Amino acid sequence: MNDRAPRHFAPWILAFGWLAACPAHAALGGDAASVAADARGLGGAVSVTPMQTYELREIICADGLRVREFLDRAGSVFAVAWSGPVLPDLRQLLGSDYGAYRRAIAALDRPGLKRELRVVLPDAVVELGGHLRAYAGRAYRPAAIPAGITVADLH
Amino acid sequence: MRKITQFTAAAALGAALLGGCVGNNHASGSVVVPPPPIVNALAVTVDAGPAAAAGQINHAYVTVKVCAAGSQTQCASIDHVLLDTGSSGLRLVRSVLTAAGLTLAGTTDAQGQALEECVAFGGGETWGPVALADVTLAGEHASHLPVQIMDDTAAGPPPPAGCGANGTLINGVGGFGANGLLGVGLFAQDCGPGCVGAAAPLPVYFGCAANGTCVAENVALTAQVTNPVTLFAADNNGVIVDLPPPVNANGDTSVAGQVLFGIGTQTDNALPPTGLTVLGTDANGYFTATYNGAATSLPAEIDSGTESIQLDDPTIAHCTAAAYLGYYCPAVAPLAVSATNMGTGANNGVNTVNFAIADPNTFVAGAAALPSLAGVGGSTQFVWGMPFFYGRKVYVGIEQHSAGSFTGPFNAY
Repeated sequence: MNDRAPRHFAPWILAFGWLAACPAHAALGGDAASVAADARGLGGAVSVTPMQTYELREIICADGLRVREFLDRAGSVFAVAWSGPVLPDLRQLLGSDYGAYRRAIAALDRPGLKRELRVVLPDAVVELGGHLRAYAGRAYRPAAIPAGITVADLH
Repeated sequence: MRKITQFTAAAALGAALLGGCVGNNHASGSVVVPPPPIVNALAVTVDAGPAAAAGQINHAYVTVKVCAAGSQTQCASIDHVLLDTGSSGLRLVRSVLTAAGLTLAGTTDAQGQALEECVAFGGGETWGPVALADVTLAGEHASHLPVQIMDDTAAGPPPPAGCGANGTLINGVGGFGANGLLGVGLFAQDCGPGCVGAAAPLPVYFGCAANGTCVAENVALTAQVTNPVTLFAADNNGVIVDLPPPVNANGDTSVAGQVLFGIGTQTDNALPPTGLTVLGTDANGYFTATYNGAATSLPAEIDSGTESIQLDDPTIAHCTAAAYLGYYCPAVAPLAVSATNMGTGANNGVNTVNFAIADPNTFVAGAAALPSLAGVGGSTQFVWGMPFFYGRKVYVGIEQHSAGSFTGPFNAY
């Protein structure tokens, strides 16, 4: 839904080989080196769009999963957003925030079948929703969002 | 209620209709008695849940009769199965089946390996084998139905590394708040075409070798976990969930209603001539909803498996009591809000729903049916959970099936 393409820069394709199953992604809080390593390991379709205050890196996997990583000027991932027929591996996407995420889920009295969830962690916010065939969500570190963009831009 | 025979209900109905002529309905003679209509109404109860997981809220339960495929005698009635319009297919907790004395044969893939499945729900995943069952819901039968066994006893191979990583495994009665899940949603299968021909198989269905190693693989539609309604001989185009409003705005101990199978196929499930809002969905099961006049709409669904209306409103305070983490606690309650639903495609109905958000701290202790419960959702989706169902007839039109002039997938109310 909320995926209007940025208008002022056309995406340029970094690598366009066979589409892989996306075994790994840069994690929230990861640095530029980890992003580069993941991009090399991925071998999928990766497009990078430089924006005014950040860089948007989009990975489209063969299974239809689409992951967008938001990197600040220092090369640190401050947000990730995803959509696709299956949930991405949150261990990879949440990185060092994954442990806090697991604890927060466990603390919910009734985690059960919630198809829409917003979890506020000490350093990050995780939103996920959907069902088999169509999941979507995002995770971001509010304190790390560069000036000039808002949470609403992170999709 | 274990091991009731399926003849009981039919015999009772026959006796009622034929004035005591129990037994053969087609006795020789010149009078032709039309066959009785198929009983298509299944009781639905909102209560505190199975004894092993009491304290549930806004869970709509049904009792499902399950038999080993092809068997008339290897059967059990499983109570407190969660009625879920947000998924498709029947899932049953293995320890519950075992306690009922029922074993369902697992299926195998083209290589003869055990077929297992991992399905992600918000907050956790289910993991376990696909098995075949003959399932009876009211008077409707689905034979050789592929179902998922939620492997809470770890009798089968362990889940692959990615399964359970997104929250926790919710295979058991405690984590699930139910003995199983009856998915009567918009689709004929749970995964559908995406799990049939993907270049890189989705991590949903897995072939598991004898050594316990499981690898994702594609699976034909007929082998996927299937919406039982689509296998009924009739009344197979959708369902209608019909729950009365709770009596007390602060919650009732229980609510009794029904789910009707079929739409426009019998007198009790007829489409109303006017007044129905029909919301076509996209291929993923979403219409759109605009919350409180927001600038943008969100993908939305009507989901009896979610206990609250899940929305994103940063102006409402979150609850702090441990029992209500994840829910909204408005400072001034009940808080009046609204959302406007809009269908996609040909069934492009538009309807604004006004609803209230209560402070859960005012709920009656021990109440299981809470009509004004709203949960803290994300910015990517709007979910009409159980509170939406109270006092409405909610229609679920299955994909590629028609009901009157409407073709699924659609929701209506």
